[in-house]
Amino acid sequence: MSRRIIIDLACLATFALLPLLAALLDEPFLVSLFTRLAIYGMAAASLDLLIGYGALVSFGHAAFFGLGGYVVGIVAFHTAQLMPLWGWEGSNSALIVWPLALLCCALLGLVMGYLSLRTSGVQFIMITLAFSQMLYFILGSLSFYGGDDGILLNERNSLPGLDLNDANQFYYLCVALLVGWLLFCRRLVGSRFGFVLRGLKQSERRTVSLGLQPVRYRLTAFVIAGLGAGLAGILWANYALFVSPDMAAWQKSGELMAMVILGGVGTLLGPVLGAAAYLGLEQLLSLWTEHWLLAFGPLLLLVVLFGRQGIYGLLMKGADKPRRARARSALPPLAAQEVRP
Amino acid sequence: MSAHLSIRGLEKSFGAVKATNNANLELAAGELHAIIGPNGAGKSTLIAQIAGEIRPDKGQILLGGRDITAVPAHERPRLGLARSFQVSQLYPEFSLLENLAVAIAAREGRSFGFWKPLSRDRSLLDPAFAYLQQVGLAPRAEDRVSELSHGERRQLELALALAQEASVLLLDEPMAGLGAEESARMTEQLMALKGRYAILLVEHDMDAVFALADRITVLVYGETILSGSVEEIRGSQLVRAAYLGEEHA
Repeated sequence: MSRRIIIDLACLATFALLPLLAALLDEPFLVSLFTRLAIYGMAAASLDLLIGYGALVSFGHAAFFGLGGYVVGIVAFHTAQLMPLWGWEGSNSALIVWPLALLCCALLGLVMGYLSLRTSGVQFIMITLAFSQMLYFILGSLSFYGGDDGILLNERNSLPGLDLNDANQFYYLCVALLVGWLLFCRRLVGSRFGFVLRGLKQSERRTVSLGLQPVRYRLTAFVIAGLGAGLAGILWANYALFVSPDMAAWQKSGELMAMVILGGVGTLLGPVLGAAAYLGLEQLLSLWTEHWLLAFGPLLLLVVLFGRQGIYGLLMKGADKPRRARARSALPPLAAQEVRP
Repeated sequence: MSAHLSIRGLEKSFGAVKATNNANLELAAGELHAIIGPNGAGKSTLIAQIAGEIRPDKGQILLGGRDITAVPAHERPRLGLARSFQVSQLYPEFSLLENLAVAIAAREGRSFGFWKPLSRDRSLLDPAFAYLQQVGLAPRAEDRVSELSHGERRQLELALALAQEASVLLLDEPMAGLGAEESARMTEQLMALKGRYAILLVEHDMDAVFALADRITVLVYGETILSGSVEEIRGSQLVRAAYLGEEHA
């Protein structure tokens, strides 16, 4: 069994058995912590799709997290107040509200991506930051929806066959969606589209000369990643029963980025581990001091300076890639004579 | 013979520098046409304009009679234009097969697949392998490009251009940085392609140019000063002074 599969299974087993452990230890708080972890893990993994595979360093990924949450919050607000929203009396069904929220995120992704992808490098970082801050201030100015204070939700959305108000059932739903999202992302990066996206990162000139237009692929990736963060925002609104503009603030984008870097850029599962490390450290260090980021900062610095692929890279250290190794030993190097100008 | 690719009065300036200055060129179908000229003569800039990476200030580029001057770079391959790069532009993190599979998926307009793994798609890998065989890289098919030697990368550049199944190949110094043995092998491979494609070859290696070319155009300071057969160019006093004089005096 390869190291990669062992890590996958270990993570899966931890997530699957956690409620049991929490019950044994009589610590229901653990389930709540791991629900947060699954939600943030999903958002971080979706950002990794952009940073790790598309070399698109978005500093505005929280915009999707915030928008997804806010659509859930606003619909819940209107439904609870019996106040029709443009003639629609609202709904509490996840099967209606969640796709609606995702649709909004896709539209935001299209607009934000289309305009941002005209730039690259530092400009791209700044323009995505600017877009998410715009959304942050718009959400904060919605005084009808609580302004900076946000919206309190009365209840979670309803799904047929599940009781989302049950902590364990909601937890397992989040984990299932996280697993599904990760599997989809892995499939995606290995697909023809994924290869084009990763190829663009390595040589844009080559990609263009093969007859491919870069923006199409990057924009698609931007929208897909936005959907992942949007789904995380939807789950967060249901988990916390509260949404506020802070969900779209640049600090949130920064947190997601820290999780990606801490866990391992371009590894998908790594950012989930990064989210675990981030939330875990927050939990532990904030018991000790409210300035816990003071301790977290140097740690992130160490990872950036010395860890090539974060936590995931650390776990994978020394694990050989079997396919390459076999190909190497079976075939002698053909052209050993290397001549350079 | 009617010209398959023609360049008429092309001009391009970068600030005060005229990189291309009234360049004219005719490339017939099946012809191997070499462009020679001293360093800084604007050979790569000319290729970049034909490939669409750089938009000329003036002049026309015609492919099969159609004006493609304003066609964006990413649409030109579909019209039958493929290029290779002077400094290899490959995907170093992918295997050789995967590099070619991306090129084939792009050519067939199948690059928007989200589910089927590219690395196990026989409909891409089988033809990819055939192109690797053609340039003699089949034994390294599964290796990563980052593990290849410089010479092997130059051959993969050629394989990628072939995989586009274009009618015109723009080859920007395929022998750049190759040793004598590798150069000879590349010359042999290009010889085998002669007649099947219209090839525009930019090259410094004079032995290769004289062995391969049907016609030669001399570019000096962005201007095409002379076009002719190998014998005409060899014999030309003007060319000796402008170019050959530097190396073959």
